[in-house]
Amino acid sequence: MSITFETAKQHQNDPAVLCCLRKKGTVISAADLEDPSIFPDLEESGLLSVPEQALTIGQVLGATLEQDADSMTPLTPELVGHFSENPKNKSEEITTSSSTAEGPIQEKQVIRFNIDKLVGQIELPTGLNMSTLPFAATASKTSEDKVIRTLTQRTYPVEQVCVGAETSFENKMLTIRETLCNESLKADPLVKKVALDIIRPENRHLYSNTIMDVIPIGTKVEGILGEGITHVMNGVVIILTGVDEKGVQVHEFGSCEGYLDEKIRFGRPGSPDPEDIMIRINVTVQENTGMERRGPFAAHKACDYIIQEIRDVLKEAPADTATDQKVFRDWKKSGKPRVMLVKEIMGQGAMHDNVLLPAEPAGVIGGRRNVDLGNVPVVLSPNEVRDGGIHALTCIGPATKEVTRHYFREPLVNLMAEDDEIDLAGVVFIGSPQVNDEKTYVSARLGALAEALDVEGAIVTTEGFGNNHIDFAENIEQIGRRGIKVVGVSYCAYQGQLVVGNQYMDAMVELNKDPKGFENEILADSTLCPADAERALIMLKTKMAGIPIEPANRKWSQEVVDSNQQLIP
Amino acid sequence: MSLTTVRGLKSEIYVPITPSPVWSPLNKPLSECTVAFCTAGGVHLKSQKRFNLSGDYSYREIPSDTPASELMVSHGGFDNSDVNKDINSMFPIDRLHELEQEGFIGKVAPVLFGFMGGGGNVNKFKGETGPAIARILKREGVDIAVFTGGCGTCHRSATIVQRAVEAVGISTIIIAALPPIAKQQGAPRITAPHVPIGSNAGEPHNVAMQTAILKDTLIQVEEMKSFGQMKTLPYEYRQNV
Repeated sequence: MSITFETAKQHQNDPAVLCCLRKKGTVISAADLEDPSIFPDLEESGLLSVPEQALTIGQVLGATLEQDADSMTPLTPELVGHFSENPKNKSEEITTSSSTAEGPIQEKQVIRFNIDKLVGQIELPTGLNMSTLPFAATASKTSEDKVIRTLTQRTYPVEQVCVGAETSFENKMLTIRETLCNESLKADPLVKKVALDIIRPENRHLYSNTIMDVIPIGTKVEGILGEGITHVMNGVVIILTGVDEKGVQVHEFGSCEGYLDEKIRFGRPGSPDPEDIMIRINVTVQENTGMERRGPFAAHKACDYIIQEIRDVLKEAPADTATDQKVFRDWKKSGKPRVMLVKEIMGQGAMHDNVLLPAEPAGVIGGRRNVDLGNVPVVLSPNEVRDGGIHALTCIGPATKEVTRHYFREPLVNLMAEDDEIDLAGVVFIGSPQVNDEKTYVSARLGALAEALDVEGAIVTTEGFGNNHIDFAENIEQIGRRGIKVVGVSYCAYQGQLVVGNQYMDAMVELNKDPKGFENEILADSTLCPADAERALIMLKTKMAGIPIEPANRKWSQEVVDSNQQLIP
Repeated sequence: MSLTTVRGLKSEIYVPITPSPVWSPLNKPLSECTVAFCTAGGVHLKSQKRFNLSGDYSYREIPSDTPASELMVSHGGFDNSDVNKDINSMFPIDRLHELEQEGFIGKVAPVLFGFMGGGGNVNKFKGETGPAIARILKREGVDIAVFTGGCGTCHRSATIVQRAVEAVGISTIIIAALPPIAKQQGAPRITAPHVPIGSNAGEPHNVAMQTAILKDTLIQVEEMKSFGQMKTLPYEYRQNV
């Protein structure tokens, strides 16, 4: 099929191949050429083989065919007369309107360019006669960065955890009330049994049911989520595991039941750190409710009931016993390009759900679930995310899921919030609904939101893979078609290769860490890590600056990821 | 605007293109056709081995005289509430038998298929599972095979198997809850009711809706005359999970 002039321009450095039979003497135009985006398929099926000496589209446009040639013929110097020798320089030119495509016109000793679009500013050396300039120089605006809100996080180290008569926290020792587990049953009638044990780093070769979540222990001492003061325990983390009364694991796409030392990739943003003490809360839910929305949620409620009593004693910890104090700020940075981060979360029902903005950091109570909100985009400030604004009920597959602790330490949120060259307008959470029409509905709202926020760039991430890649593709399209530069971030690799795609998905970051590209059922293995965040942000900045990103290879390869990583300054 | 940039970055994820057409026209009226049903939604007999939920390219043969009460689902990619209530919402075996009794179709194929397409290994489904299912359906004299997916990668796996079955001369169609995936993966024929993943063949226990979706889908096998056509069906069900 022939292509348009615009497509030819986009592909001017790709090989020129005839789309149909053409006679000698034809002056070659876009209408005579095949679309280069289908070449890989044609080459794979043996219909096309492009020789090294093939001319590019930029070289043959306007040239003459010197003999009859069939469709699917790559154009070479033998076939084409008067082709352009040096097309590459053309691509580096400033894009000018077609009326001046032949070059600048000299008239009364001025040089006139018609410029379709010019973004940014022109800087000229001082000393020019400003009165001769055709435009007024603007006074350079002093950019003033403004702090919108501040969050102080006090860290309290925990060196020992035990079970005892009362819950207490003193001298770096956390004691959890023994009767608390039984009491937590009242959180939901579907919860049939709750057990708790303490796992020290040296005792991790221990069998476990599948891990449903990893939850940090934090509590508000002053203010609401995202501002004021939060106390956080360091060196200890909750892991929630689950099974139903029949012994079926509460998991869905893959399970990580097994030995904890083998089934967790320690040190990922979402997983326990190598030195963490794990408090394992194992919940047994009513049989056959593990894959229904109410079952897993009941387990999270019981777990949160237990954590709340720990939070209550942590609130009382004196400020001077904190060993570290971090201050996070939400900024308004004027004069910097506005960007947004979109985090696509699961919203299809059981274990595909999240609690947004609970009352306590990483808690359950007081929040609203994105499924109940219709999965429409909800904006959080970076500080709200970093203060535990998301409690993940999700379990897409252990290696690619973002657990509650992941959001608490999200590397891309931190990187974009702290970056001096951009102004992060907000972090948008959008659900992936289970009905196709609803996917389109929420994606369209995201597009409208991006437009209203007036951002110049966006990064869209998703956890998991499969049906949520429909939303992922639509979310990117809704942003991209508005002229906003967009980068996509996902696990795809081999097992999760994209099921749909569109033209705006041309700058993509791969999250896979498995050597064979599979969902390997190791908790948090292929989730977003600091290095992925760096590649995503530099790719966005590069795209925003108009520097091209090379198209992806046909098949996933780790070398591409590695070589991108090496390019980072 | 001053941004740190680098040259030479390359996109890390390939974006797919729809594969080449595969097409087998239907050459007889529905009332004379043998119809099979295949689902990637993880349906199997309660007596058969559960599927491995992190990716499994094996399949289960389901004799078509199996009572619906003997069937279950092992699948993690969608909320199981509806299939647990009524297996016909994914695998409308009762509706098929009713259509045979009514004379709407010739007969139900002796063997039907369940596989678990979530996270499916593309090469295995393309090279092994698809051709294996196609061979059996061909041997059993099947004229039409109707498919359902489940989750997203299930629709991909279902479409891969569907293409393999179409390639051996059987007319196929998929009832897609996620039509963009079926379309992009190259499904020969697609119907798309407004249903959530997990109840792809209609609301549980809503016999009228399930029958209508299945009948309209079969009629489309007769009416669609070229590869890749899609018809949206006017049935809407919103699951209340």
